[in-house]
Amino acid sequence: MNDDLETRLRASDPMAPGGTGEVPIEAPTSPEGRRRLEAIMSTPTTEPSIEQPHEQRTEAPRASRSRTPWFAGIAAAVVAVIAVGAIIVGSNSGDSVVAGDPMELSAGPSDALASCLAPSADVLRDVEVAFAGTVTTIDGEVVTLEVTEWYVGGDAPAVIVTAPAGLEALIGSVPFAVGDDFLVSATGGVVNYCGLSGAATPEMQAMYDAAFGG
Amino acid sequence: MHTDHMHTDPDRRARFEELADEVYEPLQRYLRRRASADAADDAFSETLLTIWRRLDDVPADARLPWCYGVARRILSNQRRSERRRLRLVDRLATTADGIVPAPEDPDPFPEVRVALAALPERDRDVLMLWAWEDLAPREIAVVLDTTPNAISLRLSRARAKLADEIRRQDERGAGHTRDEAPTRDEIPGEHGS
Repeated sequence: MNDDLETRLRASDPMAPGGTGEVPIEAPTSPEGRRRLEAIMSTPTTEPSIEQPHEQRTEAPRASRSRTPWFAGIAAAVVAVIAVGAIIVGSNSGDSVVAGDPMELSAGPSDALASCLAPSADVLRDVEVAFAGTVTTIDGEVVTLEVTEWYVGGDAPAVIVTAPAGLEALIGSVPFAVGDDFLVSATGGVVNYCGLSGAATPEMQAMYDAAFGG
Repeated sequence: MHTDHMHTDPDRRARFEELADEVYEPLQRYLRRRASADAADDAFSETLLTIWRRLDDVPADARLPWCYGVARRILSNQRRSERRRLRLVDRLATTADGIVPAPEDPDPFPEVRVALAALPERDRDVLMLWAWEDLAPREIAVVLDTTPNAISLRLSRARAKLADEIRRQDERGAGHTRDEAPTRDEIPGEHGS
């Protein structure tokens, strides 16, 4: 290739600095950039955790252009971490959480106990969230359960489990069906698989009873 | 109970902010060269999140190329799922990977982009990284996760293919749309290389 062609190739860069066609670039120090970076740095370094309750959604920090479910997920994680804390603290102090709002959990790409320890009451005892519930609706990647009993980590009447965009199939890892009773545990806002969540079989119920004192 | 307090570690935040200062704007340009504004913005946030999570894996001697590599994989996954989502609708439009100029962009050499778009993706990748991201073969090798030697070879072949393709574009255009253009005999390299 000759120099002329190299020149033409470089000049064809649609984002060439100073070019009249250059689209605005967000600076890391701009308000939008700061919001985006803060949202990122408030995200756990493992997987996205819990979705925030509905009433907090409008307060989630988000970059001006990011309207998609994915980035909402990150922004959500910011509030969600707070929400998890509030739920856990709230179970002791009795404040911070408005009873009546559903809790939202993620059927994340991998759960926080992804090492798949053999399911046991001892392992289950360490989860942050555990409840018994009945599936009331399944809408694509969103499953809603009506809580029949809270073992730990919340007092909401319902829990919404959502798979992040593109991971709908993960819902299949826990085969939810409307009307079925489930025992569900979650850590870091993400549903635990590996035998720690599933249909409320007698064996599963026995394990939950052993873990949480029946 | 599972705990993850790494995201509150001030040292980690400082390291990430410092890296962000270096890569924040180049990553946006990288993505905007290859995706629509909305798709690029989504991929940008996801790229930053991945970098945040994998901060300890960023090689000190090739930080920006490594980050380009993350962005490249995310864009590629995004395209795959987009194609799946839209496979019944307007598939041709969504598979036009590659170069996404700004609408008002006055492209000085339209034949170059047409030729680039006609090249196989692996050739286009190295050419764009070399000419637009201005990376050396050693750095391109980090983005594409291969060796500098392999990149040098690919780059030289890709340049030759691009020259051929541009020549084809020129030939196609000659005679009916380019009144002021040189004749084919006057185009440098027309009979050579």
